[in-house]
Amino acid sequence: MIQVAVENSFKSWRKIARDLLTAEIEPNEVVWLNASQQSLFEPSKLETRSSRIYSITPDFIELAHAAACHNSDEKWPLLYRLLFRLIHENRNLLEIESDIDVRDARLMAKSVSKDIHKFHAFVRFRRVECDGQELFFAWHEPHHFTVELATPFFARRFGSMRFSILSPKGCAHWDLKKLTFSPAVEKLSVPDSDDTEDFWLAYYKAIFNPFRLKIKAMKKELPVRHWRTLPEAVLIHSLIRDARNGQ
Amino acid sequence: MMDLKRKLIVLADAAKYDASCASSGSTRKRAKNGIGNTEGMGICHSYTPDGRCISLLKLLLTNVCIWDCSYCINRRSSDVQRARFKPEEVVRLTMNFYKRNYIEGLFLSSGIIQSADYTMEQLVLVAKKLREEENFGGYIHLKAVPGANPELLKQAGKYADRLSANIEMPVQEDLDRLAPEKTIAEIENTMSDIKLGIDEAKSDKAAPAFARAGQSTQLVVGASESSDTVILSKAESLYNKFLLRRVYYSAFSPAVHTDPGLNVAKPPLVREHRLYEADWLIRNYGFTAKEITDGTKDNNLDLTKDPKLAWALRHREFFPIDVNTADKNLLFRIPGIGTKNVARILRIRTYHRIQLIDLSRLKVILSRAKWFITTADHNPDVFRLDRQDLEFRLKPPSTQLSLFDNYAPKVSVITGEL
Repeated sequence: MIQVAVENSFKSWRKIARDLLTAEIEPNEVVWLNASQQSLFEPSKLETRSSRIYSITPDFIELAHAAACHNSDEKWPLLYRLLFRLIHENRNLLEIESDIDVRDARLMAKSVSKDIHKFHAFVRFRRVECDGQELFFAWHEPHHFTVELATPFFARRFGSMRFSILSPKGCAHWDLKKLTFSPAVEKLSVPDSDDTEDFWLAYYKAIFNPFRLKIKAMKKELPVRHWRTLPEAVLIHSLIRDARNGQ
Repeated sequence: MMDLKRKLIVLADAAKYDASCASSGSTRKRAKNGIGNTEGMGICHSYTPDGRCISLLKLLLTNVCIWDCSYCINRRSSDVQRARFKPEEVVRLTMNFYKRNYIEGLFLSSGIIQSADYTMEQLVLVAKKLREEENFGGYIHLKAVPGANPELLKQAGKYADRLSANIEMPVQEDLDRLAPEKTIAEIENTMSDIKLGIDEAKSDKAAPAFARAGQSTQLVVGASESSDTVILSKAESLYNKFLLRRVYYSAFSPAVHTDPGLNVAKPPLVREHRLYEADWLIRNYGFTAKEITDGTKDNNLDLTKDPKLAWALRHREFFPIDVNTADKNLLFRIPGIGTKNVARILRIRTYHRIQLIDLSRLKVILSRAKWFITTADHNPDVFRLDRQDLEFRLKPPSTQLSLFDNYAPKVSVITGEL
C-alpha cells in the first residue's frame, strides 16, 4: 500500500496522480490522506516506471475539476481510479454513464455545479457606507468548496460595485479591478441589516399566492439549510400558516 | 399619497397571476461602469411557498384598468385597492433589488390606462430609463399591450429581452364572454409584429438586438369551459405561427375579488401541471397536440397520470420498444425515460448492450418504463404489457390526487429552464 497526502485542491491531486501514473501504481494500492492532517509520504519519491506521456481528454479535466470541489474525501481515490481506467481500459469510458465510477464522478460534478448555481442565486448583498464609499457584503454557506469557481460571476455582473462574499469555506473580494481570495471567517463579520431588505420582504410576501400552496416544490429548490442565510426566509412559516388558515 | 412600500405591495400582489418568470435565453455583457449582465442561463433567486420561483421583480406599473376581464383581479369593476408607480420608482426598486442580488431583472406589465398606446409608452419609458440612464444590463421582460402601435413595440424590443402578449383564452367565444374588450385577432397581430421585429434583427447582423429571449404568452386555465384539447391545439398553433419560446398556463385563482359570476372553488393545479407536461412533450419530445389529446375522456387530459404514460397505455401497439435498437424518436416515447437519458442510452449502446441495471443506474423511472421495454437481459414485466391490470398497477395511490404537494412538478417544467 502507498499512502499519499493530498491537499484539498485539484492542482495537488493532479500532481500526485501524475506521479502515481508514471510509477504505474494501481488505484487499489493507494491510500489517499488529507494533507492538512498528516504529511507522511512524498509521492515524488516514487520510482518512475513509465516514460509514457499520458494525454487526457478535456472532458475528463473538466469533470475532475468540478468533482475536486466536492466536500467528500471519496473524490480523490474515485478520480484516480477513473483516470487509471481511462488510460488502461477504455479511453471513451466517460461516455458509459451507467458505469459506477463514471456515474459517481458525474454525480459529484453535478452536485458541485448545482451548488455553484445556488451560490449565484442565494448570495444576498448588504450595503454599507464607509468614508463615503459604497460597499457590499454577503454571507453565504456553500455545501461544497465552490468559492473560487462561483465568485467570478459576481465580478462580471457587479463589476462597478466593491464587494466581499464571506463564507465558512473561504472568502472572495472584489476591489473594482481584481478578485482575490482569503481564508474562511466567522459570520459575525457581515452587517446585519440593509435599507432595502424591508422592501424585499414586502415583495416576497406580496408575490406569494396563498391559493396554491406547494411546500414540497418550494423546499426542493430552496433547501431548508439555506434558509438561515436568506433574509426573506423568516417569512416562510407565517405565510404557510396564514394560507392554511385561509387568510 | 401612498408610500413606496405600500405601492410595491399593491402592485406586486396585482402582478402575481402572470406565471412567467423566465430569465434565460439572453446574453449581454455588462457595460463599462454599468450594472448587470445576462449569461444565457436563468437564475431563480428565491422561491415562495407556492413553489414558484422569484427570478424577476414582477410588477404592474398600475393596476388601474379600463378593461373588464372577469377572470382578472384588476378589472375595472373589481373593488381592489388601486395604485400607480412613477417610472422612476420602478427604476429605483429594480436597481436596489438587483444590486443586492435578489433578482435577475424586471418583469413589467400594466393595467390599461387611457389607451393601448399610452400604456405601452409608459412601459417602454421605464425600460428606456433603466438601459440608458442606469446602464442596466440585467434582464427585462415587458408586457406587449395588444393593439399597441408597431413603432412602440419596436422600441420595446430594443430595450427588452423578452416581450409577451397574453392570449388569455384559446378561442374567441371565451373572450367574448369573459374579456369583451379583447380579440384573438388583435392579440395575434401584436404577436406577429413582435415576430417581425425578431426576424428582422436575426436576418441583419448589423441591426440592434430585438427581444433576444423571444416572446411568450399565457393562457388562463379553468375560467372558461374550453377543454385541454382546445387549449393544447391553440398552444401548438401559436408555437408554429409565431415561434413562441413558451406558452404559460395559469390555473385560474379564485382570488377574493373574483367576479361572483365565476364559480370556481380552487385553482385547478393538477390540470395546470398536466398541461405543462403535455406542452413539454410538444416542444421537446416530438409529440403533436393531436396525439396527446386524441382518445382522452371528454377531451381533457387524464389527471391521474402524466400524458406520456397515458398515450403509451392507449397505444400499446407501439410497444415493447427495444432500448438497444430503437431510434431516438422511438426512445422518446417510452414512459419514464427523459431526453437526457435517451442521449445517454444512445452513447452507451455503442459500447455494450443495455441491461436493466444500466437503466437503473441512469435513474430511469423503471416503475413506469419496465412494462414497455425489452433489454439485453430478461425483463419479466414486459409480458404484462397487454394485460388489463397494467393500468391499475401504474396508478398512484388514490390519496395523491388531493395532495397537490405530491404532484409538485419538476421546476424545469414550470420555468422552462433545462
